[in-house]
Amino acid sequence: MKKKILAVLLATAMVGTMAGCGSEEVASTATDAAQTVADTADTAADTAAQAADAVADAVADAVDTTVDYGTGEIKVWVAEAVVDFTKEKIDTFMAAHPEFSGYTYVVEAVGEGDAAGNMITDVTAGADIFGFPQDQLARLVVAGALETVAPENVDAVRTQNDAGAVGAATVGDELYAYPVTSDNGYFLYYDKSVISDPSTLEGIMEQAEAAGKNVYFEINSGWYNTAFFFGTGCKLDYSIDSTGAFSGSDITYASDAGVVALREMIDLAASPSFQNGSSVSNATNVAAIVDGTWDSTAAKDLFGDNYACAKLPTFTGSDGKTYQLSGFGGFKLLGVKPQDDENKLAVCDALALYLSSEEVQQARYEAVGWGPSNLNVQASAAVKSDEALSALAEQLAFTIPQGQYPGDYWSLATGLGDDVITGVLNKDSSDDDLMAALQAFTDACAAAK
Amino acid sequence: MAKNTSTSSMKQKRAVGNAIAYLVLIAISIVWLFPFVGLVLQSFRSYATEYGGMVEYFIPKQFSLDNYKFILSGESNYLLWYRNTVIIAIFVSLFQTIIVLCVSYALSRMRFKGRTFLMRFWLILGMFPGFLAMICLYFLLKALGLTQAGAVPGLILVGIASSGMGYYVCKGYFDTIPKSLDEAARIDGASRARIFFTMTLPMSKPIIIYTALVAFMAPWCDYVFASYVAFGHDTSYNVAVGLTRWVWTNDYQGFFTRFCAGGVLVAIPVVILFMCLQRYYVEGVTGGAVKG
Amino acid sequence: MAAENNKNKSGAAAAFSGIGKNIAEIGTTFKEGDWKTRVSYLIMGFGPICRGAFLRGFMYLFCQAGIISWIAMYGWKYLSKLNTLGTVETAKVGRKTVYGDDSFLILLFGLLSLILVIALIALWRMNIAENRKEEEILKAGKKLPGNKRDFLSLFDSNFDKTLLALPVLGIFVFTVLPIIFMICVAFTNYDATHQSPSKLFTWVGLDNFKELLSFGPNGFGSTFVSVLLWTLVWAFFATFLDYFLGMAVAILINKKGIKFKKMWRTILVMTIAVPQFVSLLYLMKMFAKDGLINTYLMKWGWIQEAIPFWTNPMLARITIIVINIWIGIPYLMLIATGLLMNIPEDLYESAKIDGATPWQMFRHITLPYMLFVTGPYLLTQYTGNLNNFNVIFLLTQGGPKSMALAGGAGRTDLLVTWLYKITLNDTNYKMAAVIGIMVFIVTAVISLVVYNMLPSVKDEEGFQ
Repeated sequence: MKKKILAVLLATAMVGTMAGCGSEEVASTATDAAQTVADTADTAADTAAQAADAVADAVADAVDTTVDYGTGEIKVWVAEAVVDFTKEKIDTFMAAHPEFSGYTYVVEAVGEGDAAGNMITDVTAGADIFGFPQDQLARLVVAGALETVAPENVDAVRTQNDAGAVGAATVGDELYAYPVTSDNGYFLYYDKSVISDPSTLEGIMEQAEAAGKNVYFEINSGWYNTAFFFGTGCKLDYSIDSTGAFSGSDITYASDAGVVALREMIDLAASPSFQNGSSVSNATNVAAIVDGTWDSTAAKDLFGDNYACAKLPTFTGSDGKTYQLSGFGGFKLLGVKPQDDENKLAVCDALALYLSSEEVQQARYEAVGWGPSNLNVQASAAVKSDEALSALAEQLAFTIPQGQYPGDYWSLATGLGDDVITGVLNKDSSDDDLMAALQAFTDACAAAK
Repeated sequence: MAKNTSTSSMKQKRAVGNAIAYLVLIAISIVWLFPFVGLVLQSFRSYATEYGGMVEYFIPKQFSLDNYKFILSGESNYLLWYRNTVIIAIFVSLFQTIIVLCVSYALSRMRFKGRTFLMRFWLILGMFPGFLAMICLYFLLKALGLTQAGAVPGLILVGIASSGMGYYVCKGYFDTIPKSLDEAARIDGASRARIFFTMTLPMSKPIIIYTALVAFMAPWCDYVFASYVAFGHDTSYNVAVGLTRWVWTNDYQGFFTRFCAGGVLVAIPVVILFMCLQRYYVEGVTGGAVKG
Repeated sequence: MAAENNKNKSGAAAAFSGIGKNIAEIGTTFKEGDWKTRVSYLIMGFGPICRGAFLRGFMYLFCQAGIISWIAMYGWKYLSKLNTLGTVETAKVGRKTVYGDDSFLILLFGLLSLILVIALIALWRMNIAENRKEEEILKAGKKLPGNKRDFLSLFDSNFDKTLLALPVLGIFVFTVLPIIFMICVAFTNYDATHQSPSKLFTWVGLDNFKELLSFGPNGFGSTFVSVLLWTLVWAFFATFLDYFLGMAVAILINKKGIKFKKMWRTILVMTIAVPQFVSLLYLMKMFAKDGLINTYLMKWGWIQEAIPFWTNPMLARITIIVINIWIGIPYLMLIATGLLMNIPEDLYESAKIDGATPWQMFRHITLPYMLFVTGPYLLTQYTGNLNNFNVIFLLTQGGPKSMALAGGAGRTDLLVTWLYKITLNDTNYKMAAVIGIMVFIVTAVISLVVYNMLPSVKDEEGFQ
């Protein structure tokens, strides 16, 4: 009896191993053959995505018979707010693409900032597709955590999204990510009952002070305080080479214009109504807050009937001239991580393209109010009439598309902002003091590349 | 007569002294309880009418159970985080106690080659900041498949693995148990193991409870390493990771009162347990402080 | 096994001087030993097995087989690249990414293999000594201890080995190995631009230490000094303020005539029981510029402008220390309550008769006693506070930052919180490792110096 069992076990084991080898061989030849077909198939799939769903299904069915994509799990990291939305859309995608049926997916809530950090820490354990703010792009490319956009998708991405978004997803000449939103900019939410005229910063502060309410502006963030520096005409540019490494910089903060901007920040920070912050739910007793579209629901909840938004105000500088607050126009992107399996990469590419497509951007706007980067969706009536988005659009006319900045820039800018808030730089500082601080800032930023 | 006045003035003095002492104690109590009262009040603030963000007033305008309903319903993974934390805390507490007892007994009662070296070596190891090892631990756990989905057993493993180094207090306690008892038992032919299990352990109830209590409380606060090991895997978070994200990440607007409610629910069992076992805790810290 | 390894390390210091003696003994054992002993030079434990000591013999054999097969199958591919930390770069084949050498894993598992090799050599040496011992016993005409006795000794004379095996192994894998690893990282260029597995990193010698001590405009030097100073100051205040105030509260509660002693203690102890991430995060919000405290103070007209608890560097530091008192007093109160009761009452009685004031009694009886007894505790508290991560991290995250500080450090950053930021935000592991080593040096030096000054160490019998 024992012997018999042993024999059976042995036999199965041997068959198992043989089958193992066999299938592997078959699989590898299959992939070889498939590779040649893959390109055409993918382009077919992409054009299909743009066409009506019914057609897409038909094409997809046709593709199904020629390419075996194998099996696997695709992990997606997106912000908490769109987890359910993303799941729903991936279901739709999977249903439309039976050729990818071997793949399962999992969507996890990882905020965009965290996602980039995690991807850099351990790319192998990171998500296959992840959302991130565009300022992380160079860092991700340098760390080898981003795959370039599939060649067959490049044209579609470039033509369908606004130029700023495409530029933001590009390092060197390579397109590295799929733009999802063009709303990563900031503008002013305010309480109509407190602030009647949001057109000048001085006016806003005066009205808020009179009402004993707070105005939030996160001036210790390198993202928000460009509003002042860009507003007075300062430049902050880094050039990067094709590997994502920084190769040079052009920073003109240490100038008369920079001093005007810095002095305005100091004046603002000196107001009793000023609060440093940009999160609606962490703000109390709010008259106005400089924030982005992602907080529009929270802002509506907070202000209720008095909810209003506008572009950022103008201010009168220490030199007597009037400047419009500027800032960054930024974008949220969807990245695909490098894969050691081409089939999986193809599936990820197709999925990322879909999740950044016109159809999904439209739906995402409707679901959570994220401003689209897709030109057609931007032109749609609903988006155009959105209060927050139109305030943003108005503001975007004065902003500078966000480029790539080294990590040190952000912490230096926080240092500069904190020096203003803590009073290291204050109203009594002479222009020379301010110039010296800005010179130090510029030097450190230039050295950071 | 003279004596009488002096005692009455003494009494008066004492009464005044006591009154001041009471005032100071009441002031201290207010300062100490204020944040907790605030936390509890905020957790009962109505989400529907007052939103869940920060507010500038102390007492909510309208009380409701909105926040508790939210965290106890399936809308967030709070219950899962809570379960993870309880599991981690129980296992860490159990095994850590066992390990600490073993190490302490060996170091207190046995004399073997390398004993002083081992104690000195561990003392020196303890001076390295823990974060240094964090990334390395992460990859070790990853090699064992104990990150992300497996973060809970991973955290248990890490929590237990190095617990031997925390033997000081327990060894100090064992040192106070007279050695003559051991020696008498050994003359009667009892083995070391027998002495350990049948004599030393039954006499060590306070220190066992102290060790278990301290070990049980630690995982509730573990934010840094726990979030690192979970690596974005929402269902593997513990309460500390899950709840701090509600406060720190901008993705969660209006979660402040929910954080308060979650915090209250975390505090309740720990506080109750602590209050019940406070006596042992005092014995432990006092002993530990004396013996270093 | 790790236990043995550790012990051998302890032996290593002594063995190092007598290394020649060891080699001589290995030689003579071989020359004088029988064939079983000689075979044991190749197959560990062969001698004991042949002589019937299966338990010992097989232990050696299993260890040898285990270590050798692990290194052959797994460890060698890392160990062999340990000198360069990998040379094969990650490459692209079409759209596919083919990962090259993973410097991180090479360093980690290379070190593990290296340690295992050392352990194997140590075991081999023990195996030879074992053979010699057995031969000598047999030569003397005695019998070898039986397997059963060997086994039972694990619960009696060798009970320490049973008790310590697992804890020592755990500490080795999860504490010693990571620390050795990070010490090594301090000598590599492992940072954001050399991130495995996509990029290789390699040995760079002392470059990182030079960077830490570079005092140029962008160097880490001045930041390091400033953070270090604050760390020392913080630990001093956090330890001693808590200590004296805690003692004062304990004396207050212990005062004769005070009722509800238990209730007062229970109220204070709440801060120990409530997890810090809950209470400290709430306090952080409470003290914010737009938080409860400022709002109410302004509403009541006590202040005109909000107090910048967190945004003024000096005030932020003070606020942190004050909040830490809130956390620390209860611990000290508990400890002091227990200890105060141990002071013989007659000391106070006689002092009273001599007309001592309460302050004099405190100054000459209570304080010396407390300081003497809690000296070692104060020291551990101090070193603990040097590395007190939670309080700083949950309250200010090290902020406010300043242009004057490099590496993202803030005005309230301790070395550990700075280390944490450098690790997580900048993934600048090499500098984190260097700072970590500095933290160790600071902690170790302070501990060593203070420990030898402690009265309870100098005079062990003093108060007992």
